Amino acid sequence: MTTHDTSTEAPSEEQIRQMTPEEAMIAGAAIDGVHIVHHRNRFPIPGTKAEKRAERAVALSFTISALAGVAFVVYFCAGKWKWHLPGSPQTFQYYTPVLGGTLAAMMLFLGVGLVLWAKLLMPEEETIQDRHDVPSTPEDKLFAEATLVAGLEDTGLPRRGLILRTMGLAIGAVATVPLVALVGGMIKKPGTQLLHTMYKPDPDMFPDTGGMVPIVDEFWNWIGPDTLEPGGLATVFPGVRKKNQYGYDGLTDASSPTLLIRLRPGQKVKARKGQAHFGWPANNPEYLAFSKICTHAGCPASLYEQQTSRLLCPCHQSQFEVLEDAKPVFGPATRSLPKLPIKVVTDKNGAQRFVAADDFDEAIGPGFWERR
Amino acid sequence: MSDDIESEFGFEPAVSATGAADGAAQKPARTSKRRGGLRRRISAVIVLLSALGIMGASYAAFAGSSGASDTGTSKDDIEAGRQLYSVSCITCHGANLQGIKGQGPSLVGVGSAAVYFQVSTGRMPATGQGAYQARKVAKFDEQETEQIAAYVQSIGGGPTIPVGSLRGDSATISLGGQLFRINCASCHGTTFKGAPLSAGKIAPSLNEATDKQIIAAMLSGPESMPVFSDNQLTPAQKRAIVAYIQTIKASKDPGGAGIDRIGPVSEAIVIWVGGVGALMIAILWIGAKTR
Amino acid sequence: MTTTTVPPRRSDEPRTPQGKAGKFFDDRLNLAKPLRVQLNKVFPDHWSFMMGEIALYSFIILLLTGTYLTFFFDPSMVETVYPKNGTYVPMRGITMSRAYESTLNITFDVRGGLVVRQIHHWAALLFVAAMLVHMCRVFFTGAFRKPRELNWLIGLSLIALGIIEGFVGYSLPDDLLSGTGLRIAYSIVLSIPVVGTWLAFLVFGGPFPGDVIIGRFYIAHVLLIPGILLLLISAHLALIVRQKHTEFPGPGRSEHTVSGERVFPLYAAKAGGFFFIVFGVCAALGGLAQINPVWLFGPYQPAAVSSGSQPDWYMMFLDGSTRLFPSWEIRLWHHTLPPLFWPTVVLPGILFTLAGAYPFIEAKMTNDRGKHNLLQRPRDVPVRTALGCMALTFYMVLFLSGGNDIIAKAFDISLNAMTWGGRIALLVLPPIAYLVGYRVCLGLQRHDREVLEHGIETGIIKMLPSGEYIEVHQPIGPTDEHGHGQLSYGGRPVPKRMNQLGAASPLSQIRGFFYPVKEKPEIQAALDELEQREHGDVETAEGPKQLTD
Repeated sequence: MTTHDTSTEAPSEEQIRQMTPEEAMIAGAAIDGVHIVHHRNRFPIPGTKAEKRAERAVALSFTISALAGVAFVVYFCAGKWKWHLPGSPQTFQYYTPVLGGTLAAMMLFLGVGLVLWAKLLMPEEETIQDRHDVPSTPEDKLFAEATLVAGLEDTGLPRRGLILRTMGLAIGAVATVPLVALVGGMIKKPGTQLLHTMYKPDPDMFPDTGGMVPIVDEFWNWIGPDTLEPGGLATVFPGVRKKNQYGYDGLTDASSPTLLIRLRPGQKVKARKGQAHFGWPANNPEYLAFSKICTHAGCPASLYEQQTSRLLCPCHQSQFEVLEDAKPVFGPATRSLPKLPIKVVTDKNGAQRFVAADDFDEAIGPGFWERR
Repeated sequence: MSDDIESEFGFEPAVSATGAADGAAQKPARTSKRRGGLRRRISAVIVLLSALGIMGASYAAFAGSSGASDTGTSKDDIEAGRQLYSVSCITCHGANLQGIKGQGPSLVGVGSAAVYFQVSTGRMPATGQGAYQARKVAKFDEQETEQIAAYVQSIGGGPTIPVGSLRGDSATISLGGQLFRINCASCHGTTFKGAPLSAGKIAPSLNEATDKQIIAAMLSGPESMPVFSDNQLTPAQKRAIVAYIQTIKASKDPGGAGIDRIGPVSEAIVIWVGGVGALMIAILWIGAKTR
Repeated sequence: MTTTTVPPRRSDEPRTPQGKAGKFFDDRLNLAKPLRVQLNKVFPDHWSFMMGEIALYSFIILLLTGTYLTFFFDPSMVETVYPKNGTYVPMRGITMSRAYESTLNITFDVRGGLVVRQIHHWAALLFVAAMLVHMCRVFFTGAFRKPRELNWLIGLSLIALGIIEGFVGYSLPDDLLSGTGLRIAYSIVLSIPVVGTWLAFLVFGGPFPGDVIIGRFYIAHVLLIPGILLLLISAHLALIVRQKHTEFPGPGRSEHTVSGERVFPLYAAKAGGFFFIVFGVCAALGGLAQINPVWLFGPYQPAAVSSGSQPDWYMMFLDGSTRLFPSWEIRLWHHTLPPLFWPTVVLPGILFTLAGAYPFIEAKMTNDRGKHNLLQRPRDVPVRTALGCMALTFYMVLFLSGGNDIIAKAFDISLNAMTWGGRIALLVLPPIAYLVGYRVCLGLQRHDREVLEHGIETGIIKMLPSGEYIEVHQPIGPTDEHGHGQLSYGGRPVPKRMNQLGAASPLSQIRGFFYPVKEKPEIQAALDELEQREHGDVETAEGPKQLTD
């Protein structure tokens, strides 16, 4: 294999001093194997019209850039930018575009000026550089290998198995401890947290209903059968005001949002086994409540088509058939939306109100390993 | 009802014929910048205030069921509506609103709100059978629409066309937004773009929806849309939702072109076509040889 | 050395201001030689080499704008109420997190905050897009081959990390759109077998959303991931400097040299200018096109969702795969393997593993152990090009499916049809793309050979005395006694039209994949001379087996 080192002999200091900068530059580059095969002033005769034109183009770019910068500062300080309601002219709509536009002009014209300068005014050149990527010589490889081997022998590690093993242990410890310290601090035991929601009955909190959790709307109003018309749908929540350990109450807890659906007359439910009485009235349900959290990826599945009783999740388009207890009928979801057993109780004023007879009988939301 | 009265917070409604924010049930209107509208506004207020006394009683009677009070349409209107009905609607919905199998559903009990929504958005009379009727140019004008609605209401009853103020004031906008996000955004989207539903059905965009149509839709639950009765969303809450929708629609985008407010999909197009495209041209230019 | 002539007295003092300034540093750091070497480093001036620069520059823009945003952003999940007199009226009195509120404040209460926020977001989209384009260039021209496999792997890690960094940043404002995405991310972690729940709780500090995730994402977004990105980018560039650029074959080009322009001053001016152009494009987008209007989306609440929720474009292929994947759930021994696991964990795992292994697979399949510094034209390696077309088609189907609801709405197509169309297309289109890509490459190759053998089609039809019509071909080089060209294919563009032979067409000004570059005579002479010198040298012992058939 021949080497491709075409580097030339270095000229002497004396010779360099005799050279013009260009000659010296070319000679210096050649030492490193950089051959400037072509280096030509674009305008050998200074002061031609063409050169002036090129110079003006570059200068114009820089000038526009500077002016755009000034415009930016002026508009930044003087422009109307505060948002207000529609009514009077919403001039704030120009603020960001003008700032962005002037900033863009400033940057673009600076960049264009630089590139024009390089393309129009700087000498054109074609340079060829040796890669110097010849492989290491056998000698070098042998030297390096020998150095490694000899060094290792000096440590005596190959013979001193005890040191090797114990050092392995120590390194293992040093590597593990930070990991344990970091990850260990972050570990939270899932336990049964994914299996329960805030609908879990609590006699202490709701003695009036025998512990059953009231079902409320997004303003804590306890809702009843008269809230919905046939074909109506509401997002409802457990009426638990006490915050959990993460600071969420019934309205803000992510596992609790529920859809309460009132069927249209004539829509009959084919209930799942053991869940026939989950709706209300229990014998011939008109009201059904399903977890709003999609069993696929956890988005709120809430695009309800009241006539065709389909429920669509907007994230991945799983479709559920409400009349078959929200069984998935299309898309990637595999499990029905969990159904909340609901009951009606009478409140202090004698009005009928919904409560959750019990928590969901399965984990809500997307699947996970421990889920049966 | 006048068409061009400014809404409560003093800006041009995004769409005309909103049924007008007449301001009777609201706080007295703020001083309008448009003097011309002021007198009309005052007279409208007077008329409506006097009407309010009569309506108050009927409102109380209707409260608990659905819809706002009766529009007080006359017998003539109903008769005119009947004639329009028998020309344009009868072939599909039948002589007595009972519906014709395979042609059109029964209109008994749908109420004037449903009729108003379907006819004023041009969905009815339908051009063909289908899971979804798209919005088109309305065949009937506002008055005719109300007359047909009155006729259907007079026979079948049901949720009625809302009257009075349809848009909450500026203080209710944020409440409306909150309600919109939890009740409406799942189908119509946070920027009102609408969405496809299952198998070709569509939740329409709200871009062209008027105040009255939005409220009529909530009350009647047209096609796939669930019904939002006045017990679920009170009339005040409905007006707040309308205020939110129309305010956001009328608002200019502070961050430049809204690129249709679609979100990441239109942003993806812009970055690939506008961003990467522009820079590809730039590198072609920079990499090109100059003579 | 003894000399009788006394050298003329001269001072050591430099004569030029540059020299004087340099002396100060050289006296202290001995910089003269390394400086010269670096200033003389040669960069190829082909346009396709600037794609990676777009990514580099957008990363710098991200660092600059991102630092600005940290001055105002509060990564806190603490519940707060937007003030009754807050600037953005439609949010007054609404309960939200501090993170979302401070994002609103950047938008509405910091002068010029919105434009910076938007530049940051657009630059993020551009960052990943430019990396992908750059990766395609490297793939289709074979620039990843030995000795550059390590840099291919680093680049791939950069894309993966860039995507993660982008997603984490997109999650920070805690708005309804990003919160939905965050919940899906949580569900994805949850879907991992055996350790899923523990892992999800570890990251989120409890069941979704927990109370720590925004803060953790914030430090990952502003310190951890950018730090790793910076390291990897430095390594990526260091390897380029060490190994030098690849370049297309051409006159005077060889495996042992790299040609182009030196860093100083030409390349520095062009690259510096290009940085400002990239910044300018980002600023233009940031000012003129609204991105991620979180004030329209509202604060995150677990019960709410917007239809048409999409992630940013670089995550859309995963969203698409999730939408297309059938509802296959595995239940065994009281355990569940959710359908979410396959398209979101396994699929990207496979895609990135395949991409990372590709250089080694190709080397193995072609038995090619040589070093390659010269690039290949995509047509000359039909199998690789066809594989690339196949991969891109697969990616495009997933990508489009990520927005299939928007497409369904815009073109009035049934959503179910979109899903089924995507499923079928995902299986059918990639093989078709492979076949088409392969045939196109072969066709282009054949045409190249034809032109070399018979010359360029002139479009002049001649009738022979026998009455036969033939088209006159202009040979592009010396011919043998049968009129057949003697030039062999050199892995570089072959002129296909008459105007590419002599007078330059406008397009030949662009040094591209498709058009030959006509050098000026004087350059040509120098190059020819150099080629002469190279001639006879070993041109890599044995040509490796080609991927052609």
